[in-house]
Amino acid sequence: MLAAYILLIAIVSLLTTRATPEIWGYFMVEDGGNFPITHWENVIGRSKSADLNIPLATVSNNQALLTRYDEEHWVYKDLDSKNGSFINGRQLDSSKKYLIEPGDEIVTGGVYSTVTPPSLEETQNNEVMRRMDKEPVAPWKILLAITMFQAMTVVQLVLGMGEEITVGAVASFVILSIVMWAYVAFFKAMGRKGFEMEMIAFFMSTINLAVTTSFDPSNTFKELVALLLGVGLMIFMCIYLRDLERTRKLRPMLLALSAVALLVNLIFGRAEFGATNWISIGSLQMQPSEIVKIAFIAIGAGTLEELYDKRNTVMYAIFSLFCLGCLALMNDFGTALIFFATYLVVSFLRSGDFSRMILTGVGALAMGLMALRFKPHIAARFSAWGHVWDPEVVDAAGYQQTRTMSFGAGGGMLGLGAGNGSLKGVVASNTDLVFGFVMEEWGYIIAVLLVLCIITLSLFAVMSIVAGRSTFYTICACGAATMFMVQTMLNVFGSIDLFPLTGVTFPFVSTGGTSMLASWAMLAYFKASDMRRDASLAVRKEEVWHA
Amino acid sequence: MRKQERRAWICLALALVLFGGLCLFTYRYVKDGSKWVGHYGNTQIFTDGRINRGTVTDRHDEVLLHCTPDGLEYSGDWTTRVSTVHAVGDGSGNIASGAINMFAGQLIGYDLLNGTYDTTANGKKIQLTIDANANRVAYNALYGRTGTVGVYNWKTGEILCMVSTPSFDPAYEAPEDEGSYYFNNFLSGTITPGSTFKLVTAASVIDNMEDRGDFSFECDGVNEYGDQGTEFHDVYEHGEVDFREALAVSCNGAFGELSRKLGGKTLKKTTEQVGLSKSLEFDGIETATGSFSFPTDDDIKLSWAGIGQADDLVNPCSMMVYMGAIANGGEAVQPTLIKSTSFIDEIRGVKTLGKYLSPETAAELKEMMKNNVVENYGEDNFPGMDMYAKSGTAETGGDDSDAWFVGFTNDEEAPYAFVVWVKDGGSGAGAAAPIARQVIQELQAWNYYE
Repeated sequence: MLAAYILLIAIVSLLTTRATPEIWGYFMVEDGGNFPITHWENVIGRSKSADLNIPLATVSNNQALLTRYDEEHWVYKDLDSKNGSFINGRQLDSSKKYLIEPGDEIVTGGVYSTVTPPSLEETQNNEVMRRMDKEPVAPWKILLAITMFQAMTVVQLVLGMGEEITVGAVASFVILSIVMWAYVAFFKAMGRKGFEMEMIAFFMSTINLAVTTSFDPSNTFKELVALLLGVGLMIFMCIYLRDLERTRKLRPMLLALSAVALLVNLIFGRAEFGATNWISIGSLQMQPSEIVKIAFIAIGAGTLEELYDKRNTVMYAIFSLFCLGCLALMNDFGTALIFFATYLVVSFLRSGDFSRMILTGVGALAMGLMALRFKPHIAARFSAWGHVWDPEVVDAAGYQQTRTMSFGAGGGMLGLGAGNGSLKGVVASNTDLVFGFVMEEWGYIIAVLLVLCIITLSLFAVMSIVAGRSTFYTICACGAATMFMVQTMLNVFGSIDLFPLTGVTFPFVSTGGTSMLASWAMLAYFKASDMRRDASLAVRKEEVWHA
Repeated sequence: MRKQERRAWICLALALVLFGGLCLFTYRYVKDGSKWVGHYGNTQIFTDGRINRGTVTDRHDEVLLHCTPDGLEYSGDWTTRVSTVHAVGDGSGNIASGAINMFAGQLIGYDLLNGTYDTTANGKKIQLTIDANANRVAYNALYGRTGTVGVYNWKTGEILCMVSTPSFDPAYEAPEDEGSYYFNNFLSGTITPGSTFKLVTAASVIDNMEDRGDFSFECDGVNEYGDQGTEFHDVYEHGEVDFREALAVSCNGAFGELSRKLGGKTLKKTTEQVGLSKSLEFDGIETATGSFSFPTDDDIKLSWAGIGQADDLVNPCSMMVYMGAIANGGEAVQPTLIKSTSFIDEIRGVKTLGKYLSPETAAELKEMMKNNVVENYGEDNFPGMDMYAKSGTAETGGDDSDAWFVGFTNDEEAPYAFVVWVKDGGSGAGAAAPIARQVIQELQAWNYYE
């Protein structure tokens, strides 16, 4: 009940609060009117989907890009338009970018237009509008509810596991709770308001610790450390993401590091459950592919200008191909599928070319079928798909799925209680089959709510585009959402026989340090797209003079 | 930016797929959750592959099976064990349609809200609709022969008696020759129906032959037909018979002629209409499907098919339901093996399978079945019951014929439709009818007692 309450508040708050776009300037068209500029990056053109629409035959569909430079200045770049663009009477070279000031005269296809900064009055009006937006829900009630939930979890675990539970495990819950309060209190004091996403993540992490403890209490503390590192990484990324230029500059480095990480994995990797996706550094074990996921999103995203740059697109495609190749060599086809799906969605967001996406998908499918021929263990999983209850499959290739469903259904709506499950006797129950694990110990309702959490985060990412500043942030958010959703799909559907079992993790919920760390880090991309006033620490706090 | 906004639908599509999958899973979970839980892989419920909680009783709360963590405890009485094993099931799951298999979910005490959460770990009680007394009587009456006896209340659908032989004692090791012992003839058998099938041909005649009043056949006991002089033998030389008389004396010659008049298509249609060529589904159990062939270009074979020979194979349970439909004015009631315990089931009431026959057809057929009893089997042989029936003596190529007796009683307190089949039993009226009488008497005695 408590869990449902926590999640419902957070979900409803995320889905009902909506940001009124900020206005960065006005685009005045001769005889055409005065358009507010609500993004940092805008397309000027005849196309209906252009942000600044000039419906005249002499204007190209995508005439030019108008990008915000600073408070006063904008950057104008012609997109190889048919009739070209002129500023203050000078024809522009379409390979160059031009800095323009308020009042500069832009001529596109014979139409005069100018960019003006918002007047103080207009800024204030917009400010009032933004203040009238529904405020994000205050975090205290949810915080209290989660804390109570955590306390009850510990009690249940102690009752359910008795002697087996360790001090370290109990302490982990206490630390998690303290960190959660500290996090909210600190950023609240800094003037931030929106914490729903973090609350959802903290809640899911609590379930994670409960699952980890029930499976093997000696691992709980390690999981907590990964979680804390993840929170730290998220905060760091949020702050780093505030500056678009800085983030963009970091990308070549990310690209190089990712490539190195995957190569190191390939060379020094260690096999577990068929996939060679682990490396050990001393006593530390990690899955580099989880970390590369984070970089993969940032590398795929681009500013509007970059989306019109072929080189950038080709670079991304090559990098994706490299990642997929490495993952295939590691035998980690589940993760490869996640990368591939993310690549498809991100490249569709970039180009809008649906047929190419389908074509790429079909091509990959053909490759996948080839892989089936050479990888008997994957073929076996495919042949078991949909037949897991058949007598000859139920104890073989369908073993994990049928046990997931059988024990999972045993939990009913409310669950048998933390620590009371029996699915833990099955291999990978705390990672690949975690949906069934949660169903058995926590019940169907919570298991389903966990999936709804992922859906909510994703819907929020999509909704935030309306008020988005740069395509970089919105593509990041949509890419991260895709990754979360595909991962959840493969994990959940795989374990309940709606899809062949692939063995990937459920974000936040599956036991695994690297997975936990990566899930939290990915949250930064969602935070960066949160345009509600003062909501997100990934967005610079609005400055005092606005008031 | 606006373009990217529009393209974001693809993320929404993904979310929709995820949500859709969740809905599909939820549907399956609600529908099959109880089966999932009842799988032997669930170590919460199964100890060494045997279910460890729950009790199965008959309709009078007589305990037939008690499941404990130490193993299965069957009834202490041998006859009870062997006569109910096909309804109750065995620990190794050899009898697929046994309660222990089919209703494992209920035995465990599984429900959607609490799952298998059960602090006492005693499980739940399943009350079957069968009457252990009637089963014991039926088993003894079969007297070691292969066969089956099925009785159900054609108003409520409750199956009161379900015995299949050969049977075995589930409290001890399973028998060597597995197949036939585990096989439930009533639910899974398909058997040559012999003359009992004339009730289908007769229904077809009533539905399709306006001039059946004028029908007449001269039976010389041999009844040669066709170029090759194929003989449709009858035990007696019936002389001139009309339609009604032909059913009462079960004249093969006459029914051969009627089948030819009806034609293969019409017979096929009626057979489908009365539910004999499809399987029944109730309580998650699926009965075997009867099979027939009514050729349109082979009069000889069609004649044999019309009197329940040739390729005709009928499932006893479907036959019993057809009997119930005749009794119930043409409307068939779905059988069930579980006493309704929940409030919701009570409200839902009996589940109808629809109209097998029109009320007029049912009434005429019913009258003719009464006539069979009066003219042929003797009302005195069924004291205290309002009996409507048809016997059958099916040729299956063995030394002896299979004996059949099917029909229903129409008493207010005892609205029972029944089917009795005794392999190699000989004459239907001689071997099978007394078994029906004994079982129904036993059921009536309990009614009186209650």
